[in-house]
Amino acid sequence: MTADNRRLVVLSLDGVPHGLLLRLMEQGRMPTLARLCEEHGRPRTMRSVLPTVSCVAWTCYATGRNPGKHGIFGFVDRRTGTYELGFPNAANVRGPNLWEILSGHGKKVFGMNVPGTYPPRPVNGILIGGFLAPSLSKVAYPAEVGGYLEGIGYRIDSDAALARQSKEKMLEDLDVTLSRRAEAILHFLQQDRWDFFHAHIMGTDRINHFLLRQVAEGHPRLAPAFYDYYGRVDAVAARLLEEIGSDRPLMIISDHGFCPIRYEVQLSRYLVEAGWTVPTERVTGPLSIDPARSKAFCLIPGRIYVNVRGREAAGCVAPQEYQHVRQEIADDLLALRDPQGRPVIRAVLKREQVYWPSGSQGPDASAALALGLPPFGMGPDLLAIPHDGYDLKMGLAAPELFLNTQLEGMHTYSDAFFLGRGVEPPEGDLEIRQLAGAILQKLSVPVPQELDLAAVAPPVAAA
Amino acid sequence: MDKLDELENQSIYLIREAYYHFRKLAAMWSIGKDSTTLLWLCRKAFFGRVPFPVLHIDTSFKFEQIYRFRDEYARKWKLKLLVARNEQALARGVNSENNKLQCCTELKTNALKQAIARHGFDGLLLGIRRDEHGIRAKERYFSPRDGQFKWNYQDQPPELWDQYKSRTAGDTHIRIHPLLHWTEKDVWRYVKREDIPFVELYRARDGRRYRSIGCQTCCSPVPSQAATVDDIIAELETSTAGEREGRAQDKEDAYTMQKLRALGYM
Repeated sequence: MTADNRRLVVLSLDGVPHGLLLRLMEQGRMPTLARLCEEHGRPRTMRSVLPTVSCVAWTCYATGRNPGKHGIFGFVDRRTGTYELGFPNAANVRGPNLWEILSGHGKKVFGMNVPGTYPPRPVNGILIGGFLAPSLSKVAYPAEVGGYLEGIGYRIDSDAALARQSKEKMLEDLDVTLSRRAEAILHFLQQDRWDFFHAHIMGTDRINHFLLRQVAEGHPRLAPAFYDYYGRVDAVAARLLEEIGSDRPLMIISDHGFCPIRYEVQLSRYLVEAGWTVPTERVTGPLSIDPARSKAFCLIPGRIYVNVRGREAAGCVAPQEYQHVRQEIADDLLALRDPQGRPVIRAVLKREQVYWPSGSQGPDASAALALGLPPFGMGPDLLAIPHDGYDLKMGLAAPELFLNTQLEGMHTYSDAFFLGRGVEPPEGDLEIRQLAGAILQKLSVPVPQELDLAAVAPPVAAA
Repeated sequence: MDKLDELENQSIYLIREAYYHFRKLAAMWSIGKDSTTLLWLCRKAFFGRVPFPVLHIDTSFKFEQIYRFRDEYARKWKLKLLVARNEQALARGVNSENNKLQCCTELKTNALKQAIARHGFDGLLLGIRRDEHGIRAKERYFSPRDGQFKWNYQDQPPELWDQYKSRTAGDTHIRIHPLLHWTEKDVWRYVKREDIPFVELYRARDGRRYRSIGCQTCCSPVPSQAATVDDIIAELETSTAGEREGRAQDKEDAYTMQKLRALGYM
């Protein structure tokens, strides 16, 4: 039987920025995590992924692969070779995830609520999907686990629609979701001798999305409620620590940072204004475009596709124009200014810089179709990286280019955090994708060659 | 006996079993290839005449080819065709552009509930197959639904030795799935062997065809060169894409969209 010091526990807090964690610990609002830091060193900053979206980040974590390899580029993607929108999920992920790799080596594994793990693949243990799993009857492998979850009133996710009605209702809902999650975490932790146990809390991302600005402005009611929530998250960590004792290695991590939103930027609309995208007469969705006249189009957040002839179903950009068109679009994007005249886009990266650093251009759609590759995940031609505060949306038919809604916080790339006890990820700049290697090593499982475990700092690393 | 004969025999057995058991039976006809195959089998089971009504749930948003096909074959095959539409919802302007989930619920689920209430059906024949969709893998040939249409898949009797539980308590109807054991490819092979007519949308035109048809608003064609049934069968031999890939309105997608919208991803 595996010794305790080889049985790893991971607690992940979605979207908690390194800076916020430090502040909360200093202010005494997260005493458990603060104590852990005193004993095992301060949390490290960790880079997320590009684009900085939870399902992409956690799929990088789970597969140890770059999106170019695993094929997940966002919660929405277009169906390969078409101008239609679809929703990739774990069924579209190329390559095995950590739970599968570890299962292959006879390890007992557990995963709960990690974004991008629905629909759950069969493992030696239990895998419970998270955000976007539609029901408890389908959320888990094995499916019977759904029955237990239903019995305790487990919630797959808090209801973000509530936040748009009232922040108070959202807080209540977050609270219930967290307490049921905690109950399930402890239940499963006690149930078996897990070699790898990973439980995820999504509520931190949600509360950041909907309250971050109010907290920054010291809102009299909402700021204290925000801190209370983090206090309760700390209490969950305390119960978990108590349960696992002091010998078992532990990682507490987030997948990206956060900053307050200045504007939501309707980038599709900008591409329309700049003449790159021509929408259809009636816009019914983010890709309601006229392909014969659209040289480029975009998906959230900042993923730009060039409508190349030969590669796309109705491409209108000649292949020899491709590089030139990309450069022109990049120039246009970099010229974008907000109503106060401040620049919006920090950098525009080419697909090969981000996803296929070895020099290939990555698969193109026609090759992918011929190979029978999954229906998503060809990756964008350009990736627009915004300055902090500019949340890139699609908004093909949005009334304004710059909008403000009930969303108050947006994801940031360079300030996720890593807090470890008895686990040693590589020194130096750390990326979430590299954790897979550290986890496999900790569990004495050979690291598959296809993993991308070297840090590849894209040229936007500095804020 | 070849595979298609076996499939056909099993299905005809199920159809006759259902007809014997249910006082008020109907066959659901979406005019797609599967339910049209189901009707073909019903005709075979009863020597050319379908002895129960055929119910089309009409959202009013179907392709015009579907309506034309329906009317043509309802006449040719002398079907007792019942068309169910949720007129109140249509009058309220329910459509998929505003809310796909609501649209499906009102125009399909509720339209069916209304039709069941109006005609008192206790058994419904459906052309679903296990290989269509993950959740359908758990389906039974005889599958009870309660008044809310809820399907409790964790409480189902085993179906051993062709013994089917075709009665349940009170407020329910039973769905019968005579094609459950067929695959998409089986259906097309059978369509070819029997020369069953089908809606032209399944054939490739300009490099695209529909693998699954329904409402015009929510179905997309997939890239394909398959213009004949043989081409379609050959395409299915090599395809790894899901059959319902082109169906935007799959409930799960609609759910996903709602969630993503709330978080500002749409």
